[in-house]
Amino acid sequence: MLQDDDDANSSSETDSIDQNPNPNPTTSIDQSLDAIEGQLTSISLHSIPPIPQIISALPSDSHSQLQQATVAQNLEYIDTLPSDSHSQVEQVVESPGEVDMERGVVDNSVSRGQGVLWRNNSDVDVDVEGQGSPSSSGYAGGKGTSSSSSGISGSGIEEISGDDEVDRVEVVNRSASFGASVDSEWLPGKRHVNEDDASVSWRKRKKHFFILSHSGKPIYSRYGDEHRLAGFSATLQAIISFVENGGDRVKLVRAGKHQVVFLVKGPIYLVCISCTEEPHESLSEQLELLYGQMILILTKSINRCFEKNAKFDMTPLLGGTDAVFSSLIHSFSWNPATFLHAYSCLPLAYATRQAAGAILQDVAESGVLFAILMCKHKVISLVGAQKASLHPDDMLLLANFVMSSESFRTSESFSPICLPRYNPMAFLYTYVYYLDADTYLMLLTANPDAFHRLKDWRIRIEMVLLKSNVLNEAQRSMVDGGMHVEDLPVNPSPLSGSLSSHLGQPRPPLDSTDGCKTLLGGPAGLWHFIYRSIYLDQYVSSEFSSPVNTPKQQKRLFRAYQKLYTSMHDRELGPHKTQFRRDNNYVLLCWVTQDFELYAAFDPLADKVCFLL
Amino acid sequence: MATTARNNLSAKLVLLGDMGAGKSSLVLRFVKGQFLDFQESTIGAAFFSQTLAVNDATVKFEIWDTAGQERYHSLAPMYYRGAAAAIIVYDIASIDSFARAKKWVEELQKQGNPNMVTALAGNKADLEEKRKVTADEARVYAEENGLFFMETSAKTAANVNEIFYEIARRLPRAQPSQNPAGMVLVDRPAVGSQSSACCS
Repeated sequence: MLQDDDDANSSSETDSIDQNPNPNPTTSIDQSLDAIEGQLTSISLHSIPPIPQIISALPSDSHSQLQQATVAQNLEYIDTLPSDSHSQVEQVVESPGEVDMERGVVDNSVSRGQGVLWRNNSDVDVDVEGQGSPSSSGYAGGKGTSSSSSGISGSGIEEISGDDEVDRVEVVNRSASFGASVDSEWLPGKRHVNEDDASVSWRKRKKHFFILSHSGKPIYSRYGDEHRLAGFSATLQAIISFVENGGDRVKLVRAGKHQVVFLVKGPIYLVCISCTEEPHESLSEQLELLYGQMILILTKSINRCFEKNAKFDMTPLLGGTDAVFSSLIHSFSWNPATFLHAYSCLPLAYATRQAAGAILQDVAESGVLFAILMCKHKVISLVGAQKASLHPDDMLLLANFVMSSESFRTSESFSPICLPRYNPMAFLYTYVYYLDADTYLMLLTANPDAFHRLKDWRIRIEMVLLKSNVLNEAQRSMVDGGMHVEDLPVNPSPLSGSLSSHLGQPRPPLDSTDGCKTLLGGPAGLWHFIYRSIYLDQYVSSEFSSPVNTPKQQKRLFRAYQKLYTSMHDRELGPHKTQFRRDNNYVLLCWVTQDFELYAAFDPLADKVCFLL
Repeated sequence: MATTARNNLSAKLVLLGDMGAGKSSLVLRFVKGQFLDFQESTIGAAFFSQTLAVNDATVKFEIWDTAGQERYHSLAPMYYRGAAAAIIVYDIASIDSFARAKKWVEELQKQGNPNMVTALAGNKADLEEKRKVTADEARVYAEENGLFFMETSAKTAANVNEIFYEIARRLPRAQPSQNPAGMVLVDRPAVGSQSSACCS
C-alpha cells in the first residue's frame, strides 16, 4: 500500500502519530502507519477537499489543507494580476475596514508589496486554476479582521498561497539555482548594498530580513542599504501599528508564495519576507535569533534609548556588524542548531576531551563565568561556573558573533557581549583568542578588569592543550568529519551500540531486515540522520554523503528536517511522538521521546520492510 | 601607567578615534608590518604588545586598539583607564573624524591620567587629494591642547614607527619633557601623496 500511494503522494503529506507509549513500539507504529496510509489513499493530495475528519487524523497537515480551502478565493487574484501594481492598489482601496489616516501608507505598501515583492513574476505561471471570487487583497482581509479586533487565533492574519505541493517543489528547484550559487560561495558581510525596494533584483531575493524601530526607522536589512529602505521600513511599521491599533498583533501575512512574518520586541520590530516554503514557525524562530544576535551586541538596555527618544536612530550603534547578521541568516539554511536549539560537539577521543575539560574546569573555578573551547561551530569543551548554564541559542549566537568578526583573528580581544538568555540587560566581557585557524577559546567574565588574568589563563590553557595534543586532534577531527552512514553496520544492534557509546543516551531500537536491496547510503537506505539529546542540549548528525552531496540537495534536506521539526513541535497539536513522511526526495522518519529526538532520511525507493520500524 | 624595571619600561597605550579612521591599520602596520586595504571593524578592543628600543632603554607597549563604533564609546574608559599614552586618530579626509578626535581629547583631559602622553595622528596622509583637514589646522589644535601631532599613513607606513617612537621617548622616566609639546613634527604628507594616485 505504501508503494502504491507513494506516487500519488508526490510530496510530504504523510504523517503518523502514535501518542500511546507501547511496550512494543515497532509493531504498533507499523500498524498505525498502515492505518494512516489507508486513510491517505482515500485522499488525492492534488485536490484536497477540506474534510474535517481527515484534518483531525492528520494534525500536521490540517494547516495546509485549511489553506487550500481558502486558496480558491485568492487564486484568481494571483492569476489575473500579473504584477500590475496599479490594479492592486485599487483592490486595496476597495477593501473594508480601512482607517483613513493610515490609508496612504498602507495602500502604498500593498501596491509595492504585492505587485512586486511578494510575487515573483517569473513564477506567476504556477498553474493556478482561477476560481472566481471577487476577493479583495490579503491585506484587505487582514485589516478587516484585525480592526474588528476579533482576535485572530494563532497565526494572526492568514493570507493564503495557492500552489500545490508539486509546484512548490518545482519553484524551490527553480529558484534554488539562484540560492545555491549564493550558498556555495557565501561571503561574509552585506551584499547588494546598492539595491533598494525599487530594484528588480532586490524584489526577487527569496528571503528578506528587516529590523526596524517602532517609529519605522530601518535598523538592519539583509539586502540593500538601510537608509534607502526608509520608505519600505515605514511601510512595515505602518502595517504593524495598524494592527496594533486594533488591539491585535500581526504575526503572519501570506501573499502568493510569500510569507511575511512579524515579530515585535518592545520598540524593535523584526520582519521576514520569504518565499522559501519554510514553515512560518521556523521563520519566526529565526527572527527570535536575529533579535538575540542584536541583544548580544547591544543588550536589551537599548530599549531605554527609545524611551528617551522614540525616533532614535539605531543604525550607528550596529556599525560594522553586517557580517554578524548575514552569517547568522546564512546559518538558517545550513546549521541545524538554528532550529534544534542544541549544539554539536567535535568528535574527539575521551581522553582528549577530558584533558581540555580539566584545564577549563580549573579556569571556571577561578572566577570565569564560562570557558568555551570551540572549533568552528563545534564545541570541544565547555565549562560553566557553578549554577551558570549556557543556553544553546546563546552559544550559537556567540559562536556566530566571534566567527563572523574577522577582527578576532588578528589578535587577542576583550569585548563586551551580552548573552540574551543569561542576562539580556547586562554586558559580560569575553576574552577571545584563536589558538589556530579554526580553534578558538572564549573566556567570559562579569569583571571588566579581568583581561590580564584571562590572558594569563589563556597562556596556561594553550600550554596544556599543546602538551596533550588537543589542537592537533581537533584539526584531525575536523578533517575526518563526523559519522558516516556508510560506516554503520547492517546488522541490528551495533548501530545503537556505536551511537550510545558516543553520547551515553538511550537509543531507538533499530532493526534492519535482511534481504534489502543494496542501496546508496547506509544500511536500509539510510541517507542521513540527526540525533538530539534533550537532556544534554546536544545533537549529533551524520556527515552528508553520497546521495545528498550537492549544496542544493543538502539545503533541501535541511529544509525537510526543519519542516519535520516544526510539525513535531506544533504548539496546538503536538508534541508528537513519531512521524513518517514520504515524498519524492526521501522517506523521513522522526521519533521524539522525553530523552531524545531522532530525525532520519532514507532512500525514497527503499523497501518499506527495510525501514527501522 | 608606565612601570619601569631598570631600563625596561612597560607602558599601556590606547588608540582612540572614529570608526574607519585607521586605528587598527596603524597598529597592524606598527606591530606586524602589514596593511590591508579593507580592514575589518574591530570588535570591542584588540590587544597587542610590541617592544621598542629607545636610546638604551626598552619600552614594551601594551596596546589597546579600541573599536571606533559608537556602541563601544561608553566602554572606552575600561581601556584607557591607567594608560600611559594615547594616540587619537582621525582621517584627514573626514571632517567628522576630526571632530570626533577632538571629543576624545576632551574626554581624556577630563577622565584620563594627567601625565598621559597624547598624540594626535592625522591618518591616511596618502589621500592628499581627498584631504578635508589641513595639517595646519590640526597642528594648531594639537599645540593648544598639549598634544603632539603627526600625519601618518598606515598604507605607506609614513610616520607610523615614528609616532610610536616619539611616544616612547616622551614617556615619563624615559626622557621627561625634553621636547616641548608640538615641536617635533615629522610632517611629510607630501611624501605619501605623490604615490597615492591609485589608492582606494
